[in-house]
Amino acid sequence: MQSKQYSLKVYETTVGEEEKFLSFFEANHILFKDHLIILRGEVSDRIRAYLTSKSLHFLENVTLPEGRPRRELAKELALEKTKQEVKEKMLQSELSKLTNRLENNLTVLDKMIRSGQELSIEGDLLLLNRVNSGATLSITGNLIITQVVEGAIRCSGQFMLLTASPKANIIFHGLEINNSYLEDKLNRVELKNNEVVITPVLKKDINWA
Amino acid sequence: MGIVIAVISGKGGVGKTTAVANVGLGIAQQGKRCIVLDFDIGQRNLDMILGLENRVVYDMIHVMDGDASLQQALIRSKVDNNLYFLAASQSKDKSVLDSEKIEKLVRNLKKEFDFVILDAPAGIESGYEHTIEFADKAIVVVNPEVSSIRDSDRAIGILDSKSQRVKEGKEVGKYLIINRIVPEMVRSGQMLRSEDILDILDIKLLGKVPEDRGVIDASNQGKPVILNKDSLAGAAYKRIASRLCGEDIKMVDIESEGGGLFKKLTGMFK
Repeated sequence: MQSKQYSLKVYETTVGEEEKFLSFFEANHILFKDHLIILRGEVSDRIRAYLTSKSLHFLENVTLPEGRPRRELAKELALEKTKQEVKEKMLQSELSKLTNRLENNLTVLDKMIRSGQELSIEGDLLLLNRVNSGATLSITGNLIITQVVEGAIRCSGQFMLLTASPKANIIFHGLEINNSYLEDKLNRVELKNNEVVITPVLKKDINWA
Repeated sequence: MGIVIAVISGKGGVGKTTAVANVGLGIAQQGKRCIVLDFDIGQRNLDMILGLENRVVYDMIHVMDGDASLQQALIRSKVDNNLYFLAASQSKDKSVLDSEKIEKLVRNLKKEFDFVILDAPAGIESGYEHTIEFADKAIVVVNPEVSSIRDSDRAIGILDSKSQRVKEGKEVGKYLIINRIVPEMVRSGQMLRSEDILDILDIKLLGKVPEDRGVIDASNQGKPVILNKDSLAGAAYKRIASRLCGEDIKMVDIESEGGGLFKKLTGMFK
């Protein structure tokens, strides 16, 4: 679609007596060369022919939109802008609510994380397979791994559940976890009052019989 | 239609090329038509281990570029009529490889042979990626040491993301050969146990090959160790080749078979 926008001067007049109208235009037609003339009232063929012969542009009985002063326009624009801003803010808070919910979303994976692979997970992760030497796993939520970790773990959730992983490089909330503390079959690593607390969940030499 | 097997390792010097030569010859000895291709462009070795270095006139790049026909470039093994060899170029480097040409070559070879075995270069660069691109299956060769295991793990990861079959939504079968096992060291805990390696890599075990001094001599003479009837490594490769040909051969626990030869001798006197 092609369109153009013009700003032009409009001269509106009501046709009363034909002769008067014509004599007025005869004297002044030169002034209206660049105007759009809007005629109201009864327009005769003679007037039309006359205006055309002077190559003047005219329309009959049309209503143009009311013009408004600049100041008013600016006011309206500002109002529109605040409306948009409020809308965006609301949308953002909705989104943040959604991401909060996503962080509680649990991903369950039974996939070996091999050397060189870098896996980033938003939210919680239950990993039923190994993290091999040379692999990196980053999660924003909580982490449970049921198999040995030999690669790197970056976790910033509430807690981690890990098996004894002497070769792993584990960073929990920016703090490196000393592997020798993770000596039980299953260990819980959590953040309590800004301190990392490691508690055994399953003891190493548990007697199942 | 044959099957394309890439032999990979990630790390160099673990015995990939030796495995290719022996497995290839073993398959040929089973009566299957087999071709082994050296994909280590610029650093070919397979010709020497097969004892065919003086027979190389045209190489794989000549075939790919249409400078020689496949028939001209294929070299038949001296020891088995079912085994053929296609050499890597020694003067070019791996940048000359391109997917289209490789696919065409592999497709043609699949029509002619039951087994197409590709000897991948060490490392995980473009040469490696081109080797695995059109493979149906992969044999991963490792040594029982951590660096080899980690490099193989990485190579498997790349295989699982970049091969054509994976891109088509299919799976590439992966089989493990644990090479150069020293039983005494495994028993004393100095060397990784096979179970641990299988835990880490999580692929199917194809066979275990014990360390065998005869392998070096065999390579130097260009007579793969599988031809040596008394070699433990040779016997291991024979079992691997049979398994690849579909036979159900029991896995031999070479680690606990304290110094194989001794047991063999005591067995004789029973």
